[in-house]
Amino acid sequence: MKKLRLLALGFALTAGTASAQQPVELQFWTWYLSPKFDSYIKDTIAAFEKANPGIKVRWFDKQDSMVQDFIASVNLGNAPDVVNLNIDETMKAAQNGFLRASSDLSSPAVLASYYPQSVKNFTSGSKVYAYPWYGWLNEGVLLYNPDLFKKAGLTRAPRSMSEMLSYARTIKDKTGAYGWVPALKDPNTASFLGYFYSEGLPVYTADGRAAFNTPAHAALLQQYVTLYKGGYIPEDALRREAFQIATELYAQNRVAMIVGGPQALTRIKDTNPSLYGKTVVTDAPLGRANVQTGGSMALVVPTASKHPAEAARLAAFMTSNANQLAFAKVVPIVPTTRAAQNAAQFRQSGTDPVVRATALVGAAGRFINPGYKAPGNSDDLYKNFNDNIESAVMGKKTAQQALSDAAAYWNANMKK
Amino acid sequence: MRFSWRDTLMSYAFLAPALLLLLAFTFYPLAYGTYLGFTEYTGARFARGLGPQWVGLRNFRTLLADPLFLTSLGNSVKYLLVVPALQLASLAVAVLVSRELPGMAFFRAAYYVPVVTSISLAAVMWEWVYNREGTLNWVLSALHLLPRGEAFGWLNNESTAFLAVMLVTFWRGFGYYMVLYLAGLQNIPAELEEAARLDGATPWQRFWQVTVPLMRPTILLCTLLSTIAALRVLEEVLVLTGGGPLNSTYTSLMYVYSKAFQGFNFDYGLASAAGLVVAVVALGLALVNFRLFGDARGEQS
Repeated sequence: MKKLRLLALGFALTAGTASAQQPVELQFWTWYLSPKFDSYIKDTIAAFEKANPGIKVRWFDKQDSMVQDFIASVNLGNAPDVVNLNIDETMKAAQNGFLRASSDLSSPAVLASYYPQSVKNFTSGSKVYAYPWYGWLNEGVLLYNPDLFKKAGLTRAPRSMSEMLSYARTIKDKTGAYGWVPALKDPNTASFLGYFYSEGLPVYTADGRAAFNTPAHAALLQQYVTLYKGGYIPEDALRREAFQIATELYAQNRVAMIVGGPQALTRIKDTNPSLYGKTVVTDAPLGRANVQTGGSMALVVPTASKHPAEAARLAAFMTSNANQLAFAKVVPIVPTTRAAQNAAQFRQSGTDPVVRATALVGAAGRFINPGYKAPGNSDDLYKNFNDNIESAVMGKKTAQQALSDAAAYWNANMKK
Repeated sequence: MRFSWRDTLMSYAFLAPALLLLLAFTFYPLAYGTYLGFTEYTGARFARGLGPQWVGLRNFRTLLADPLFLTSLGNSVKYLLVVPALQLASLAVAVLVSRELPGMAFFRAAYYVPVVTSISLAAVMWEWVYNREGTLNWVLSALHLLPRGEAFGWLNNESTAFLAVMLVTFWRGFGYYMVLYLAGLQNIPAELEEAARLDGATPWQRFWQVTVPLMRPTILLCTLLSTIAALRVLEEVLVLTGGGPLNSTYTSLMYVYSKAFQGFNFDYGLASAAGLVVAVVALGLALVNFRLFGDARGEQS
């Protein structure tokens, strides 16, 4: 009997050792990073595997169909373990139960390594659903074409949003080029809400109801309606993403200013190198609230991941301060880790526009805030909000009517 | 002829692969989609591993109360205007290019190119055409049909965006139907045409009295296909206008697509119900097509 017990113990120990040595394979999905950043991602994964000998990482880069692929993979029982999503999609995924809370998977020290606002951007209820990754600031940098400024008789960059609106008229009237392209209704989001936040106007009430239909909100929208009707904003701004139109037209000398991060500069460098060399980089004007808006990517762990603990380690590793700073050397992103604000690499100066832009925003990750949180049922609500913005801009409704209609729809259909 | 079990089994054995494929990829999705139309199956249920929940006609009531769905359905029905234009034009051009004249092979190929052009490429090209600074405004201005300085963005205007997208559908479908008509024309016995010619029929009379009646089965097929294609137009709208401006180009398939694939907020139940409504409309229009062109089989035999 004793021999039999020993034999059983031996089997159990062997089996236990075998399962402990079984390497865990993690599926890691990024969004639009390949092939441009292959070497950075591969090197970082290799470093993680070296530090975690029992874990292998299989990396896939997804593009257009990321969210659909993610849902399909959950359906097929082959869900990825770490997925790259932005703030809006993370919130939608979390609200629908697709994600594990990172606050349940990692120690508070890990989440404390990011800026508090970055963590807040990915918080739903009392839980955090992501590991904040690289970010960008919408109002971090203003780029302008000095030749168009000179032609318009302007000697310096605008210092406030109201000055920005008046510049749009002057530039168009004197040069024929547009001043800049505001994000009136970017697809898949409700970008105009960001302007309310910039001006210190509330998007929600304290109890989470839509509150963007006061006369002050309507007056702000009306300013943009007037600009559009006067031909000071490209018509395509109602149909396509503002940042995309702006970078296209800027390279053709048809837009004088771009408000955004250094990422616009890399595109201009490719399409119009001589204009890139001349481009002036300076601080972007802020609204009355004196705040910036911005966005960020994150790494999330799906509920359907089979290895959540290991996935959390990979997500924390990829988004760590050292790795975000290394990424910022490859492409001008804004890191979301607290320690990044002291990084020497953002204090460099030079004549290159990307270097100047990076110096302006690289250490400013604490300001990353979209200005509004995705409500439950957000796709329907965003569509309705954008339809109403479009109706106002095209003169089908007054600004006040459009915002009141949107707020009424939100309050009737919002799932919290 | 004597009944043989062996022959019967053999015939079913040969049919089996095709039947299995039909079952898996046509009948099962159709039946399951119909079932889903009567259920609640949202992203939140899916993520929690819960299956669809029967809700009866609730999704259909939601659709009828949704102005966006009604607008989209109305737009899809309006979109059917492209069908007669497309069929008449492709039949007429098929007749023209069916002649063995020098250079005809080039024209046949040229008309077919849009069919194999990717929609993203086509979208970029048509953007250049429809833009405020695009080719269309330039041509109209050069022909003095558009006063200088009055150019406008064809895709940004409520009254022109619909027609502009429709023209892209026409452009994309034209070559496909032309090839089908060409195949149909080759099936018409040459002696019939010859006999009509000897009887003194003019080319116009030969077209209407000989070609068109004998082409009715092909016309029925092409009209059916293009009716269904027009009802489920999606890609060109999605890439060119995104359904705007003011939802003037928002079609019913766009509605289905947005409900089924709008990220984590998807609602398979509502999307399936909307799909069912579109399918019923398509079925009704198919019956109309059969009434119009359906006696073709009799004439052919």
